[in-house]
Amino acid sequence: MSTGWLIGSAVIAVIVAPLIGGLLRGIDRKLTAHMQGRIGPPIIQPFYDVIKLLGKKPMVAGRAQLVFAYAFLALIVTAVVFFALRQDLLVVLFILFFGSLCLPIGALSVKSPYSQLGGHRELLQFLAYEPILLLAAIPIALKSGGFPIANIFEYGQPLLPDLWLSFIALFIALAIVMRKSPFDISGSEHAHQELVRGVITEYSGPYLALIEIGHWYEMVLLLSILGLFWVVGSLWWLSIIIALGSWFIMLIVDNINARLTWSWMLKFAWGAGVTLVALNILFINLGWM
Amino acid sequence: MIDSLLGLSVFFPIVIGFICLAIKNHKARGGIVFLTAVVLITSSIFFLRQGSFPIEHSPAPAWDWVILVLNYVILAYFLFVAIKDFAQRGISRHNVLTIALTLAAGIPLAIFEFSQAPHTPLEVAPTIYIDHLSVIMCLIISIIGSLIAVYAIRYMKDHEEHRMHLGELKETTQPRFFFFMLIFLGAMNGLVFANNLIWLAFFWEVTTLACYGLIRHDEVPLHIDNAFRALWMCLIGSVGFSLAIMFLWNSPLNTISLAAVIESGAPVLLLPIALLCLAGLTKAAQVPFQSWLLGAMVAPTPVSALLHSSTMVNAGVYLVLRIAPAFQGTHLSTLIAIYGGAVFLITAILAISQSEGKKVLAYSTIGNLGLIILCAGINTSLAIAVGVMLLIFHAISKGLLFLCAGAIEHHIWSRDIEDMEGIATKLPVLTGITIAAMFSMLVAPFGVLITKWGAMEAATGIGVWSTLVLVLLMLGSGATTVFWAKWIGRFLCHSPVPGRAKREPFIPLYHGILLILIGCAVVFSILIAPVYNGVIAPGLTEAGYDVASAFTTYGGFLKSPIGIFAAWPIFIIIALALLIPALATRAKPEESYASYMCGENVEIGTDEFVAVADERTPLKTGGFYIENMLGEGNLNRFVVPVGIVLLVILFVLVVI
Repeated sequence: MSTGWLIGSAVIAVIVAPLIGGLLRGIDRKLTAHMQGRIGPPIIQPFYDVIKLLGKKPMVAGRAQLVFAYAFLALIVTAVVFFALRQDLLVVLFILFFGSLCLPIGALSVKSPYSQLGGHRELLQFLAYEPILLLAAIPIALKSGGFPIANIFEYGQPLLPDLWLSFIALFIALAIVMRKSPFDISGSEHAHQELVRGVITEYSGPYLALIEIGHWYEMVLLLSILGLFWVVGSLWWLSIIIALGSWFIMLIVDNINARLTWSWMLKFAWGAGVTLVALNILFINLGWM
Repeated sequence: MIDSLLGLSVFFPIVIGFICLAIKNHKARGGIVFLTAVVLITSSIFFLRQGSFPIEHSPAPAWDWVILVLNYVILAYFLFVAIKDFAQRGISRHNVLTIALTLAAGIPLAIFEFSQAPHTPLEVAPTIYIDHLSVIMCLIISIIGSLIAVYAIRYMKDHEEHRMHLGELKETTQPRFFFFMLIFLGAMNGLVFANNLIWLAFFWEVTTLACYGLIRHDEVPLHIDNAFRALWMCLIGSVGFSLAIMFLWNSPLNTISLAAVIESGAPVLLLPIALLCLAGLTKAAQVPFQSWLLGAMVAPTPVSALLHSSTMVNAGVYLVLRIAPAFQGTHLSTLIAIYGGAVFLITAILAISQSEGKKVLAYSTIGNLGLIILCAGINTSLAIAVGVMLLIFHAISKGLLFLCAGAIEHHIWSRDIEDMEGIATKLPVLTGITIAAMFSMLVAPFGVLITKWGAMEAATGIGVWSTLVLVLLMLGSGATTVFWAKWIGRFLCHSPVPGRAKREPFIPLYHGILLILIGCAVVFSILIAPVYNGVIAPGLTEAGYDVASAFTTYGGFLKSPIGIFAAWPIFIIIALALLIPALATRAKPEESYASYMCGENVEIGTDEFVAVADERTPLKTGGFYIENMLGEGNLNRFVVPVGIVLLVILFVLVVI
């Protein structure tokens, strides 16, 4: 793939990703409302929300909070760009982690009981999903011959048949990143039943909008990583189906579960998630997969 | 040339150390320490600029006698202090073990030197062997070590004034402090250049001596206990050294030249190699020996920075990296990798539960050294390159973090993380540097993270056992993030302050040195490719590794056989993403508001809320330590046995 093409796709990704992300959030809210017997907002409601938030008067509880809100968005966009440039998957994840880390650090920089609690809980979520995401990169690299995402395209075969164990683990990690029930420990993605939304309690107005847009990018990036599992050959469109299908299942799981405790989440993530990927790596190393 | 450089790097600081003992004037002592720092830094740079490596060199034979005699003098001193402690404070585990282990280290050495060796003292050609790995260590010791010694001039002055103010101290003890600091610097340089194992063991002993002397510097009972613990645990390593020397001489190889042992690579030598590794592991405070390093945190902070993070503990991993080619492809290597991974994970989890700042730093140090051990165990050229890189970056960042902790301690007079809540408003420059230093340990694109990336790539696809190593590595990496982020959060946690915080006064020996070190961390991270090509790659070739299968670089990018790290572009993008908002945003006073407390805030600008019976109650926040699950009391029951079992398996495997 030529450099020009890659840069072009990075530019497109930066423009299109938030549109897709926002739209998915809108559909999420609509479907969730239907499952709960409500009509729900219009599908493009998330865009209305963000536009409205951007126009509000800024209110901040400290400068650090502001810095980390901008950094959150900027770093996640950077991760999306590196993904589109088909860079090393581990590097993309590291940049994404740095971005994701800005959210709890921003929350912890306000002397507020709710945001402190949310920030600490977000760190526990981080502890739960970071090892799974990093580990899941290993079997991909083992199969496709290297960590650069470009390798997956050159590999020429879908990864899912050999890597379905990792795929399930990634799915768990994704639910934790997106704060879907039962993993909505630090504040749920939907304002569900919550009046005080954990980690983002102290964010409001335009800064909340920045975080919202950052989440859209984050969601699209993570779903794209799931899409990598079937991205080649004549059936490349299956990657989109896989990504959207996973997203839909997550939505159902979200709606039929209640929030559980952080210690349960940690045990489940490390117990089930990490074990699944570890087994996958082991089987590949043994030559069984 | 080499003789004079060795004189300046090894002998000169030791002599100045003795001179310091006699200088009572603070300014004069500060001046002489500063001068020594300049000499050491210059001399280390001259070492780097020596044209062809490796350099083999043997000083005059009389030096062998000096080393021989002094080695027993030091061991006799250990016996003396243990017996004295026994006489003063009665029998204790610490003094009994010190006596027993000193004898266990000294007697085999004496048997070897006076009865088995054909000459006394036994000369080895060459006595000194200098390659790129030694020079990297020498640069770390001479540059970072000297900066720490200069910082200590101011730190010890404040430290003593504070203790005198509290009535704990009547007369200055700084001459003794700088004596130990300077002889330590000289001995470390000697250690990394020595090829004769007897010389190496001697310099090893001197660093143990300095470590002991500096931990008990304040002469408080707790400090003395901790100093003895450090002493006897390091003496286990010395026992390993003495036995290794004996075994090597009586093996078919019949040599005590380190270079010869490494080149031979004969599998029959695994036992002495494992004994040398044991010495390295004790010095690097790996589990189950971690308690000495945690105890050592009671020492003044420059000691923790110099000995317990950036140099002395590095001697342990240096030795393991140095002898790694000798156990390449053996089961020992595999086990060492798994062991290092286990240490990395265990310490990262234990660090979450610590509320004393220096203990978090200590656990993080042990963990990162474990990561280097892991790399040495993986033992491919890529892994060794990563290990050496981590050695460099960790020394810079962790030395810096300890110095930050010390400077903060001297402003708030506490080491507790909870007391650091919101100090970003009181000490904005110091906190800013500290947070930057923490980021340099934690996130892309800094060097430490690049090495983590490298370690993950190096551990991928090298065997069935690598699955376990990878799992340990990734879990440890997740836990690492938690304790750093949590701590950063405590620094920043404060109520709204209108406008910018007022900067604290600039103290050159604190802020200046911190800025130099953070500058090093940034510059080396951006220039990682040239640094790799300049010193690490040639070192790999000298150690017999195939440099082609390690990193390659182009355009400042670092490329492993299975991945790529676009070092400087990532650095620029991330710097912009953080710096633009940090410099451009201002919280305007009219935009500030009090945090959300369900509408029960008393008034804006206070931290109080209205509680039961309309009483004004101050808001308190705190960090998250999960002590009931992850506390030392809870986990050490498992951690220490796991460490011991791993080491026992290691030795059993080697013997069979």
